[in-house]
Amino acid sequence: MALENETIETIEPENLEEDTTKNKYLTFKIEGEEYGIDICHVIEIITVCSITWIPEAPDFLKGIINLRGSIIPVIDVRLRFKKEEKPYDSLTCIIVIEYENYQVGLIVDTVDEVMYIPEENISLPPNAKLKFQNKFIKNIGKIGEDVQLLLDLDKFLFLE
Amino acid sequence: MADFSRESMLDMFIYEMNQLVEQLEQLIIQCEDGYSMDDINEIFRIMHTIKGSAAMMLYDDMSKTAHAIEDLFYYLREENPSDIDYSKLTDIVLEGVDFIKSELARIESGDESVSDPTELISKIKGYLGELKGETGVSAKEEKTSKPAKQEKSAASSNEKKVENEENKEAEPEGSKHFLAKVFFEDGSEMENVRAFTLLQNLKECIQNVKCNIEDLQDENSAEIVKKDGFVFSFSSLKSYDELVDMINDTIYLKSLDLQEGESHKYKALIRFEDGCEMENVRAFTVIHNLEGFASDITHEPTDVIDEGATEIIRENGFKFEFCAFKDYEGVYKILSQTVFLKELELEEITENVEKEDSKETPKADTNKKEEVQEQKQEEPVQAKAVKETEPQKPKASEPQKPKAPAAKKQAPTQHMISVNIGKLDQLLNLMGELVIAEAMTTQNPDLEGLELESFNKSARQLRKIINDVQDTVMSMRMVSLSTTFFKMHRIVRDMCKNLGKDVQLEVVGEETEVDKNIIEHLSDPLMHIIRNSVDHGIEMPEERAKVGKPEKGTVLLEARNSGGDVLIIVKDDGRGLDRNKIMEKAKKNGLLKKPESEYTDREVYQFIFHAGLSTNESVTNYSGRGVGMDVVVNNIETVGGTVTVESEEGEGTTNILKIPLTLAIIEGMLIKMGGAKYTIPISSIQETFKTKKDTIFTDPDGNEMLTLRGEVYNVVRLYDFFGAETEVKNIEDGVFIMLENEGRTVCLFVDELIGEQQVVVKTIPKYIKKIKGISGCTLLGNGDISLIIDVTGFFDK
Repeated sequence: MALENETIETIEPENLEEDTTKNKYLTFKIEGEEYGIDICHVIEIITVCSITWIPEAPDFLKGIINLRGSIIPVIDVRLRFKKEEKPYDSLTCIIVIEYENYQVGLIVDTVDEVMYIPEENISLPPNAKLKFQNKFIKNIGKIGEDVQLLLDLDKFLFLE
Repeated sequence: MADFSRESMLDMFIYEMNQLVEQLEQLIIQCEDGYSMDDINEIFRIMHTIKGSAAMMLYDDMSKTAHAIEDLFYYLREENPSDIDYSKLTDIVLEGVDFIKSELARIESGDESVSDPTELISKIKGYLGELKGETGVSAKEEKTSKPAKQEKSAASSNEKKVENEENKEAEPEGSKHFLAKVFFEDGSEMENVRAFTLLQNLKECIQNVKCNIEDLQDENSAEIVKKDGFVFSFSSLKSYDELVDMINDTIYLKSLDLQEGESHKYKALIRFEDGCEMENVRAFTVIHNLEGFASDITHEPTDVIDEGATEIIRENGFKFEFCAFKDYEGVYKILSQTVFLKELELEEITENVEKEDSKETPKADTNKKEEVQEQKQEEPVQAKAVKETEPQKPKASEPQKPKAPAAKKQAPTQHMISVNIGKLDQLLNLMGELVIAEAMTTQNPDLEGLELESFNKSARQLRKIINDVQDTVMSMRMVSLSTTFFKMHRIVRDMCKNLGKDVQLEVVGEETEVDKNIIEHLSDPLMHIIRNSVDHGIEMPEERAKVGKPEKGTVLLEARNSGGDVLIIVKDDGRGLDRNKIMEKAKKNGLLKKPESEYTDREVYQFIFHAGLSTNESVTNYSGRGVGMDVVVNNIETVGGTVTVESEEGEGTTNILKIPLTLAIIEGMLIKMGGAKYTIPISSIQETFKTKKDTIFTDPDGNEMLTLRGEVYNVVRLYDFFGAETEVKNIEDGVFIMLENEGRTVCLFVDELIGEQQVVVKTIPKYIKKIKGISGCTLLGNGDISLIIDVTGFFDK
């Protein structure tokens, strides 16, 4: 992880104001696999709070939460990826994102860090190589030896 | 643009204009069958105000149009011709109103483009000419216009002398006072000279002439005469009719208003509300309004347009004197309608007494006035008289001008302010937060199990105050439906004209109040429904006569409160819906979801709200394309309402819109089911009860029912309905809640009741698709979310 931390520091200060969110990704883990979300969509990260179940919703849509007065739907990312459900623990987090005016919370196993991935290190996913369904993955980011799967929020949120 | 900034006034202008136009439109529609004198006066007054305000804001087109209509009503008012085609008159006036409306909309949107009212104005004028029976006269007058010009030089030299002489002339015994107001044809040019010629012609038989223009030689006076008319007062021995004849002989005369009676001299002092700004412009408006019926207006400060005048008026009030033929009450009434008026003092100066005492030159008048100022005792007496006559005011058109009665009251202060709706919305949001915060505090888990007598007392007090505040906030947002309803008059009228139908719109309960946010969503649906009723429902007059119905069709528009909802009912006595036709269409469009025979009438009729389903064979101007009714449903559903339609073939159709009184805060019953708490709107709960197992039975399809006091009800188990988990499945462990919606009842089985609570409705995030049986959610005192149950969801499975 030390490597990535250095990468963050290397951003030129003069670009800081206008470009603080460019090419930066918030990474989180699901079953040991690392994923990234474009940081410009992330609003905040909260710990799991009480979720109100709603009827008629797909199973990954766990319900709604009250975030200081605003009502926000939450999606369990594990279930969205068709993985086993896992009881929430102290590491479980909700990443509140805003995408195209929709505010949604994403329940993830754990949140890692914010990292900078330069444009040239991002490539399209090599479909064949990945074992799990990759329809929610837009790009692959490479940091040294590590690989980050960058989420396609549009598909993640709206694909039926 | 104007030489002084009008931007700050623009809002005010548009607001006032819209009010006036609305009032005007209602008035016109009201009296399509015949204009009473009161109506004519009212329309005239409104038009005059529009003209004045528009001119002040330099919107000439609007001002000219208003002017033309004003002329028209001026004629009506003065001549009161009996054989008028009211419907044609209404058409023309409405056209004018439409023009003003579109102008306003343009100004509002900041569109600088211009539309030309010339055609409209000439149409109005043409109609006025028709009324007067003067068609063709203008051509003759064209020829005589040239010699008139030559009179100018002669005229100018004599003019002043004449006036002075006549002023001094002693009044012969038995002479009467008159006030004449003359307008010349547009484009006749040199109006001042014409006015002068008129005076010359009358010279022989009139005395004591006073006119609104001091110097008729002045080039500018032509403009004044053109705009405001030539107003002069005089006394004469001749009779009214003789004078009218004489004046009517004047060439290029467009309209004449001759009034007989004593001219009263008045002295008035007006103070405007503090902080109303631009006192000088307001003063100018007052004077401008006066010009309609008063002459000899003098005011202090003399130059109201001057910036400095603002201060003077603010400090000392605005003083002015004028002569008018109206009596004290009339003048008082008009002046007290001034916008932002704080204080009005009006005195009548008894000039006649002076005349008898000492037949002096007019100069003495001014001296006397100062003395008269002291005799204030007259004023309160007069004022009382106004009050007493108040209740006897003819009811004529009371309901549709809600502002008028308030303005007429003795205390001439403004009781209304206009508030930005955004601020009200914010207030409502804060109110919602307050309600939640209160619940969070008083139901705080930390307090559980504590004996807190004085805390509870204070909490109750707080609760009470919050309730009051909430009621007040809600009532601030309540708007009566009358404006929305009266718009419908116009629609029905226009449609009747175009379709050749005879339909009357009956309006009941228009005073019912609904939240402002909801009203905005009502106008369109109502319009579509009414169009539908008139176009599809009501038959042609001949057809109606054939089936023995009165030729005049009726559409009833009714609003009434029903619990927490408002019902708006549109009922026509037309041919009703054709069930078979709708069924056929529905089948064609693939809307049927079960065997045809299983559809109830109600369900079939509901198809008309589907997009693309129109049973009208031909597309008309108004309907038949199948769009419209689906708009109705969409709009009504956005405000949480429902639409149902009932019909009886040959008897008519009834559309019922059920809309909530307010969107924001509802009384709810908190219930528990599974691990979650749900809120049911109290308004739909009939009763709650527990029952024994043996009252429940199941029909062959597996539908559960229960009997209560001999009646059978459907049972819905909430956990079943939502597919949720709960431990309470035994009928005897849980509670039943009887819910009612539009005459249908169902018994809902839940785990337990928690209690009543006021809840602030929040919408379910749009990311989640619409859930049947859930209408929104709310936050509980502990921050948990409770889903609000939509009762209608239980009825259509």
